[in-house]
Amino acid sequence: MDIKLIQAQIENDLAAVTSLQALEEVRIKYLGRKGLLAELTGSISGLALEQRGAFGKEVNVLKNKLLSLIEEKGKFLKKSGSVEKKENLDVGLPGIAQELGGLHPITQVINEICAIFTRMGFSVVQGPEIETEYNNFTGLNIPLEHPSRDAFDTFYLKNYPKLLLRSHTSPVQVRAMKAHQPPLAIVVPGRVYRPDAVDASHLFMFHQVEGFLVDENVKFSDLKGILELFAKSVFGQDIKMRFRPHFFPFTEPSAEVDISCIICKGSGCSVCGRKGWLEILGAGLIHPDVFKQVGYDSKKYTGFAFGMGIERIAMLKYGINDIRLFFENDLRFLKQF
Amino acid sequence: MKVTYSWLKNFVDLKISPQALAEKLTMAGLEVVSFEQSGEDSVFEIEITSNRPDWLSVLGVAREVSAICGLKLKKPKFKETKIKAKDLLPLKILISDKRDCPFYSGRVIYDVKVGPSPDWLKKRLESLGCRSVNNIVDITNFVLFETGQPLHAFDLDTLSQKVINVRRAGKDDKIVMIDGQQKVLNSEVLVIADADKPVAIAGIMGGQATEVTFKTRNLLLESAVFSSILVRRAKQKLGLQSESAYRFERGVDFETAKTASIAAQELILKLAGGRPRTYKSIGTAKPVNPLINLELTYVNKILGVAIPSVKIKQILSRLGLEVKTKTKNILSVKIPGFRQDLRLPIDLVEEIARIYGYAKIPKTIPAIRPAANITDKEDIAAGIKNILSGLGLYEVITYSLVDRHLLIKLGINTDKNLIEILNPKSCEQEVLRSTLLPSLIRCIAYNLDQQQENIKIFETANVFSAEAGSTREEPYLGIALCGVNSFLIEKGMVKDEVNLLHLKGVLEIILNRLGVKGFDFVRQDEYRINIVIGREESGFMLDLSRQALDAFDIKNRRVVLAELNLKKLFSHINLGKKFVSIPKFPAIARDISFVINNEISVKELLLAIKERGAPLLRHVKVADYYQGKQIPQGSKGLTLSCIYRLDERTLTEEEINSLHNEVCSLLEERFGVKLR
Repeated sequence: MDIKLIQAQIENDLAAVTSLQALEEVRIKYLGRKGLLAELTGSISGLALEQRGAFGKEVNVLKNKLLSLIEEKGKFLKKSGSVEKKENLDVGLPGIAQELGGLHPITQVINEICAIFTRMGFSVVQGPEIETEYNNFTGLNIPLEHPSRDAFDTFYLKNYPKLLLRSHTSPVQVRAMKAHQPPLAIVVPGRVYRPDAVDASHLFMFHQVEGFLVDENVKFSDLKGILELFAKSVFGQDIKMRFRPHFFPFTEPSAEVDISCIICKGSGCSVCGRKGWLEILGAGLIHPDVFKQVGYDSKKYTGFAFGMGIERIAMLKYGINDIRLFFENDLRFLKQF
Repeated sequence: MKVTYSWLKNFVDLKISPQALAEKLTMAGLEVVSFEQSGEDSVFEIEITSNRPDWLSVLGVAREVSAICGLKLKKPKFKETKIKAKDLLPLKILISDKRDCPFYSGRVIYDVKVGPSPDWLKKRLESLGCRSVNNIVDITNFVLFETGQPLHAFDLDTLSQKVINVRRAGKDDKIVMIDGQQKVLNSEVLVIADADKPVAIAGIMGGQATEVTFKTRNLLLESAVFSSILVRRAKQKLGLQSESAYRFERGVDFETAKTASIAAQELILKLAGGRPRTYKSIGTAKPVNPLINLELTYVNKILGVAIPSVKIKQILSRLGLEVKTKTKNILSVKIPGFRQDLRLPIDLVEEIARIYGYAKIPKTIPAIRPAANITDKEDIAAGIKNILSGLGLYEVITYSLVDRHLLIKLGINTDKNLIEILNPKSCEQEVLRSTLLPSLIRCIAYNLDQQQENIKIFETANVFSAEAGSTREEPYLGIALCGVNSFLIEKGMVKDEVNLLHLKGVLEIILNRLGVKGFDFVRQDEYRINIVIGREESGFMLDLSRQALDAFDIKNRRVVLAELNLKKLFSHINLGKKFVSIPKFPAIARDISFVINNEISVKELLLAIKERGAPLLRHVKVADYYQGKQIPQGSKGLTLSCIYRLDERTLTEEEINSLHNEVCSLLEERFGVKLR
């Protein structure tokens, strides 16, 4: 038999193939157990001894050629989509995937806030929740027997006279400044505690993020610039911001910072108490007395500090009206974030 | 504190509307929290920060208004009435400790006519929410509101021997206050006493027995300065609150203590008649007027704005400070007694900024130099939280303070090692928790009550314990799983109630992801499996007992929990990664199926197989695991997939077969399994 003729016939047959099924038929015709190539191989024994080697080689080349042609055609058919239909899957069924959990909204807000500041070059630092009276008060220029302490009602520990549960994250300022020399750019997220009765707007445990920057030439205008950058990142570019003079023992000058109400855009509503403004944080330039406590030279260095309540920010951001929801941990609440 | 528009107008020629004034006050640091129209007048409720006792008076606020609005302050002038020589009456004032009472003045006025106040006075007081009593008491209140100096008037004839003794109370001293409450005193409390007994608690409230009534004819008018710490302590101890205490604990001004006394006498003589017979004062108002040198360049450097020196001087003078130009750059500022909050140049910078307007200070972005060598573990904890939420768990946040009974429900010994709170407001704030688990179980119970299925939660938080004179505070991870996992696979819905293996799977992913080597899960008892990392017990898994489930009111559910000490975990983390070449030659798998006694743990089996098959046996996978109908009681069916591979070449069938036979015979010989 003429091998060349067979090859031409094969190529003709393959060219006519348009489906995988037809391709399989061609394969069986030539390569099947009773196929043409098997027949050719079988005919070898009928040949003269000296012809057998050369013919065998030719048959092998043809077989390999055929295999690669069929494979190629198969790939082509699959690619061109002329593949046979699979069973009819209802894509209206829900997709199949491992169910995803989620981070608590407070964690998400803390992460968002910390990310804004770390992008600016701040580092995230944490401190212990059991603090010394010194770090929580004295080191921050809060005198022990003074009405300014009233704003920092505090849990004390039985049997540990000088220890308490920190009532704000500011003691980490004292710790960080005692441990490191300027420049310092730090944000501190964490839990804080105050003996309050629980209601829709009060809890005895909540979260704060504290931030501070100490370097040469840090100015009040820098505080305004950084906090505006921050507030616009969290609440949107359209908000307005105002700094109101206030008093904190550990900053001077001090300010409370308001943003225009994100609900009513400043016209006055129940969320902002008809004021059009929402207080979101307290801030100021770090008091020279605090620098004195930690051994910094207030002639050389200045700094700013700010602190905010995370629950409040989260409530405003997500429109949550009852602070207790955060720690009830109802899955129907958690799954919304 | 309340103040009215009309009263302020007595001292400043206000041209702006009450609304505009409220806005200006707020933006200067006197936050107007409410604003009410009351007839012709307007009442402002102002939140006064604790550093500004001088703002606790109409005059103090008026001074501020004059600075904010750039108007002149019309200071009231008082004239001392001369006492006729023949009228002069001796008065004995004793002060046992000058530190408790640095200044005391008494004024005796005879033959006053106590009666109702005139309408204008009643109205003034009522506008601030103060009830009218009689003309004398009303006058002392009026002067208090106007000047900020608390005064007290005694009925002189009720004072035994007409003596004033400012002293600490004796151990069993008692007094009935003007509001009728009886108070038992001690030596922490400073009192005004006559020859026998306390007649008033210094700076807080007068006694009933010596108060001015319509029968009173002769007065003793007190104006003094008391130790603010003592007033604060006594107020807290006795649970008393008054306008007077509010001001004394913040600090009053010596100078005002004198002028207020004159002002009150002037009004008394005008409205109630009478004859002044004595003025006596003890203690000199110490001149605390310090000088602060203020560099103008400092002001502008701190604020980041250039405020002209003329403007700076104007602001400071309007605030009642005496400003002198020392050099072109330095101002010398004399601080009056009513501004004891001003000590440092930075305090003056704040005053300037406040009045100049925070709004006018520009916004700048500083060059931030990050702190060198500050790192912390928060990133790792955040990483763990992300893995867990990726695995379908929800993060919860629960209180670190708990009711001791919550711990008892889980059988935790609450007698020792717990840190207790000295001043809890409720039993839910009693102790600092020593474990996260009870809070997580409560969270599961809560969600079950809300008809939630499939509750998978975790929390990372510090836990606390008392330890030999110190406290321990360490970060922990708690996980709790409950419910049926139901999920769709291609062939249909699969349901699977959670058990300890689901929990173990979660923990393994975390530990492997953090590169922790050498961890193990070791059964301690029926319910508890310890998590050992590098031979150290670092946590445990718990299959909650029926008893515990009952304690938390969880019915017909299984709850599995884990708690891991993150501090211990962190010390075993290895996040360094090293690339291992991808195998060039194929691996070959051989499966073995068999039934084995439940007594033999899969862990033991895998270890033995790996040891026998090393180094060609690279990995053994549990391909199938089943218990049920076809398997005899007390046994489990297992299919293990053994993966053989050599780095250098493809293994031959013969090599694999002979090794795999060895593995199979190990199973038969050592573990007595029947291969299928």
